[in-house]
Amino acid sequence: MTKKNVLMKIKELKTNVAVIKDLELSFGKVFEETWDEPVGPTPFPSVTELREWDFKLLQKYKPFYLPYCDVCCLCTFGKCDLTGDKRGACGLNMAAQQSRIVLLACCIGASTHISHARHLVEHLIEKYGSNSPLDVGGLNIEAEAPVTRLVCGIRPKTLQDLEEVLDYCEEQVTTLLAATHTGQEGSNLDFESKVLHAGMVDQVGMEIADLAQISVYGFPKADPEAALTEIGFGVADISKPTILVIGHNVPSSIGIIDYITDKGLLGKVEVVGICCTAHDLTRYSSAAKIIGPISWQLRYIRSGLADLIVVDEQCIRADTLVEAQKIKAPVIASSPQNCLGLKNRTKSPPKEIISDLLEEKVPGVLILDPDKVGEVAVETVMAVAPKRNKFKIIPEIEEIIKAGEECTQCNECMRACPNNMPIPEAMKAAAKGDLNPLAEILESCVGCARCDSACPNDFPLHSFMVKAGEKQLWKEKFKMRVGRGAIQDIEIREVGGPLVLGEIPGVVALVGCANYPHGGKEVAEIAEEFAKRRFIVVTSGCAAMSIAMVKDEEGKTLYEKYPGGFEAGGILNVGSCVSNPHIAGAAIKIASIFAKRKLRANYEEIADYILNRVGAVGVAWGAMSQKAASIASGFWRLGVPVIVGPHGSKYRRMLLGRKDKDEDWYVYDARTGDKVYGGPAPEHLFTTAETKEEAMVMIAKFCMRPNDTTKGRAIKLTHYIDLHKRLYGVMPDDIHLFVRNKADVPITMKDEILKILEEKGWKERRIPDPTLLPRLIRKRGE
Amino acid sequence: MSMFEDIPVDVGVIYEGERIRRKDMYVELGGPKQEAKFELVRVKGLDEVEDGKITVVGPDLKDVQEGGNIPFGIYIEVAGKDVEEELEGVIERRIHEYCNFIEGFMHLNQRYDIWLRVSKKSFQKGLNSFNYIGKVLMKLYKSELPFIEKIQVTFLTAPEKVRQIWEQAMKIYEARDAKARGMKDEEVDTFYGCTLCQSFAPSHVCVITPQRYSNCGSISWFDGRASARVDPKGPVFAIPKGELIDPEKGEYAGVNEVVKKKSLGAVNRVWLYTSFGYPHTSCGCFEGVAFYIPEVDGFGIVHRGFKEVTVNGLPFSTLADSTAGGRQVDGFHGISIEYMRSPKFLQVDGGWNRIVWLPASVKERVHEFMPKEVVDKIATENEAKSVEELQKFLEARGHPIVERWKAKPVEVVAEEKEEVPAVPVTGLAGVPITAGGFKIILKDAKIHARKVIIRAIKTEEKKKR
Repeated sequence: MTKKNVLMKIKELKTNVAVIKDLELSFGKVFEETWDEPVGPTPFPSVTELREWDFKLLQKYKPFYLPYCDVCCLCTFGKCDLTGDKRGACGLNMAAQQSRIVLLACCIGASTHISHARHLVEHLIEKYGSNSPLDVGGLNIEAEAPVTRLVCGIRPKTLQDLEEVLDYCEEQVTTLLAATHTGQEGSNLDFESKVLHAGMVDQVGMEIADLAQISVYGFPKADPEAALTEIGFGVADISKPTILVIGHNVPSSIGIIDYITDKGLLGKVEVVGICCTAHDLTRYSSAAKIIGPISWQLRYIRSGLADLIVVDEQCIRADTLVEAQKIKAPVIASSPQNCLGLKNRTKSPPKEIISDLLEEKVPGVLILDPDKVGEVAVETVMAVAPKRNKFKIIPEIEEIIKAGEECTQCNECMRACPNNMPIPEAMKAAAKGDLNPLAEILESCVGCARCDSACPNDFPLHSFMVKAGEKQLWKEKFKMRVGRGAIQDIEIREVGGPLVLGEIPGVVALVGCANYPHGGKEVAEIAEEFAKRRFIVVTSGCAAMSIAMVKDEEGKTLYEKYPGGFEAGGILNVGSCVSNPHIAGAAIKIASIFAKRKLRANYEEIADYILNRVGAVGVAWGAMSQKAASIASGFWRLGVPVIVGPHGSKYRRMLLGRKDKDEDWYVYDARTGDKVYGGPAPEHLFTTAETKEEAMVMIAKFCMRPNDTTKGRAIKLTHYIDLHKRLYGVMPDDIHLFVRNKADVPITMKDEILKILEEKGWKERRIPDPTLLPRLIRKRGE
Repeated sequence: MSMFEDIPVDVGVIYEGERIRRKDMYVELGGPKQEAKFELVRVKGLDEVEDGKITVVGPDLKDVQEGGNIPFGIYIEVAGKDVEEELEGVIERRIHEYCNFIEGFMHLNQRYDIWLRVSKKSFQKGLNSFNYIGKVLMKLYKSELPFIEKIQVTFLTAPEKVRQIWEQAMKIYEARDAKARGMKDEEVDTFYGCTLCQSFAPSHVCVITPQRYSNCGSISWFDGRASARVDPKGPVFAIPKGELIDPEKGEYAGVNEVVKKKSLGAVNRVWLYTSFGYPHTSCGCFEGVAFYIPEVDGFGIVHRGFKEVTVNGLPFSTLADSTAGGRQVDGFHGISIEYMRSPKFLQVDGGWNRIVWLPASVKERVHEFMPKEVVDKIATENEAKSVEELQKFLEARGHPIVERWKAKPVEVVAEEKEEVPAVPVTGLAGVPITAGGFKIILKDAKIHARKVIIRAIKTEEKKKR
């Protein structure tokens, strides 16, 4: 609704009173004010506009650096050793360099989502018109784009309204990237503030992408009962020609489904997907099936089941074309982001492309037109499938045993493995004919195949594992609820009270990639633990898939056992990576719908609300990509702490609070203006956990907020203490920091806790109406 | 060390949501298969209760056949100088919560409807006697409601004994309900206030009276009384109601004073029984909204669970949004379902005679409390989906509101927001160059405005009446 750069030119105008010649009138931005809510303080904030808020966060949660690399080699002065208190040739120190790399990663992540959104919006405008209305939940949703409203201060109504938002995002990322140039930003804290800005802009970009695709493609619109879809290695009917789609940007995959539907080929061609494209395709059509998360690319390709592979963008293995050639499956690349060196055939007639692929004149093609991808993929796969006959490169058992005998136990594979899996041991067992250890490794394998590359004997170790686990793999068929999209306003209103009052102890968001330290089962375990405890569990992306891949004794998955609503004990899949802002959006909507805080361009106040009041925690158990880094930073700026798995320490720095420093934890009491100790809640903004047990204790603990009512705090403490006792075997040592008065003490643990409080010299404290912003201290009315 | 060391299973809030399925259950107590079952709390004199005494009348858990279902009653007697008979209901309701804290012990429903199960796992761990359950209950009661000085618990499983007390219990429930429903605001000198919702609606203060439930529908006057007694510094507190300023509107000096103080001066006056003038504020968790429909001069009601749009084309969320956040908004009023059952329900505005529309499911829940003569004259979504249809319906059925139309054909509506079309953006011809007596000449001029805001021109909102 907001227009940018309006220009009027008047060549010549003569009236009684005036003569006008070559008048140029231009407006930077035109805001249409049909919206009752006034524009808040920070519409389309620049890189520095929210810096003060960032510094407030960074003062509480100081960056703690874990240099993953001691040198900087970004310019030709270098490499510069930055260890100790050394500075590089440009003057930068270690802290700033680490923050700078984090900023680079977050800019990469943010720009990926933003360019994804741009591509999607342009494509949809071209195909469906710029006036296509936006609708993410009909009557049930009033704030269609909470993050965009919050950050930009506009209400997008049609596709064209999204372009301006993307202009803003692109401009911001460019500015942020510029700050990483040699001789620019010198302060680590300013780098960190920019990291938070990148994360915020990233949230906007993702929201735009999902908003556009939900509206135009008719994905489930905030539906708690979105359909259950099939997921797993064994879901595909491989007797049919099979197309495998991999990536994140769904139009080309939708081109395939549309072509199949139009030509009456439903049921004759199988379409299966990996990663977010699969998520979004099942939101579009029940004809598509999901194989699994990103980590399953190699095992699926090598198994030979796919007769044709279509890749779009993001998190696709760079060697897809190489691997596909091994199984003689043609590849269609469909994104400018990922052309794989293939010839651009967008303008060639489909018949020509198809025949080139069938005659194996080329291993693959680049087609930048989703509809054409649909036609070429479907026609090609039907012709190529009988020829290929599911040609696979998974070795026979004898070959594995022989390799086991030849293995020199050099341990290079284990060293290369990100999870340090005992592959040499498994090869030893294989030599004796026991393939079980290899099969077990597959269960925790993140699918990177660095072991293959490391092996001096060139054994295809990853394929060995796939063979060993094959039988189990084929049986894998699960049910996952397809991405529901946004959270309804009514759902927010229902849980707003119980959440703020603590009857629902918190919201746990299980998001991120699939490089889990011990396999996907852990994510499912975490999800179930907290759903059972009546938390709200939200999930997206690869984590949402992993959660589906565990069954109970009755053969039910978590999505079948727990409701899909935003309610106590619910497990909700919001969708793909770009659906993550629905999770942030839910927190924002708690502040706006439930507490009537003004949302429009009012970032700081809403973030302050969430940080102090909404017990939400993000968990990226398999944090991996730069996108995951920027997604996390978008949550930090909003006041939502994030826990990552052990690999997350490779993000180079954590944001840690110091619970031993009382002075760090004071907040204003908005009712009186006094500074009151609010306790270390949440204790950290970004930290890693080594084990799932550690993560679970942290999740329960990080849900506490200074605003908790006594009942809420008692419930939250119960979960924290119970998990701590169960998983560590002892009482936590910091209970006294979280008990404000005796009503906070969980009633079933009263005797025990009162004794501890006495030992710690605990004194009763006031419960503030907490805020970090002095301007929110309330003026007493008359 | 732990409070429940002598209990063979764990006790904690985390077991609250635990469900025990048939195949995991050792024994079932009460439930749909038993007619006679109950839980009852009675307040007794200090000399009538033997503190800590647990009695089991009939077979104990370990004597019941595995997989069986038995009649069941829990009878709790409490005493203390501050325990009043009025609090029996409040104390009784906690049985549900406390039982569910016990690992492998499930309690559903309340009163004469209870349904409990003991899990096989917990039975095997040693939860084989009601004595353990009794110990847990007594410990929790005393620790959470310190005004209980003495408590004794009787578990009944012998069929004739269960039936005997069940019959008495049914009469007690009935008498209790009748008393609660018959209680009038005029008969008490203390109301209760709740500021739990201030964490999100900072100027909201709920005033809870015998005839006006909290907006969220979860705190009755009795609950308020118990909470305020247990934790006088807590979010629920007593409001001495003070001088009665206006009996019709329900304005009390004491209420005004406390609300003013607790809302930090944001709200100074409250009229309890109306939706206009100084209505009770609306938090964010109210169960329903009463909304004024100017075209028919009546009120519609919509509850949270209503998924469609209401008769005026707006869904619950939008209507809720127009009043939430601790504000006093004329004609938009957050309410509880229970308040609809009160004789004081919007009495100033005409009560049920002024209600013209509500969802069928709400009507179903409250129709017994609506005056018989209007029940069929109030439309639901099945009869009217638009204001036009509603008008026709009301006229056809002879709703009392129709009389009002005749009396006052045109009524000025309080706080009606008028949609004024935006003034068309000035065209070229209208570039405001309106000067007299001289000519303006602009040549090669460039004017750039960094930001232009186009606002709809609004007529000033009409004053509150």
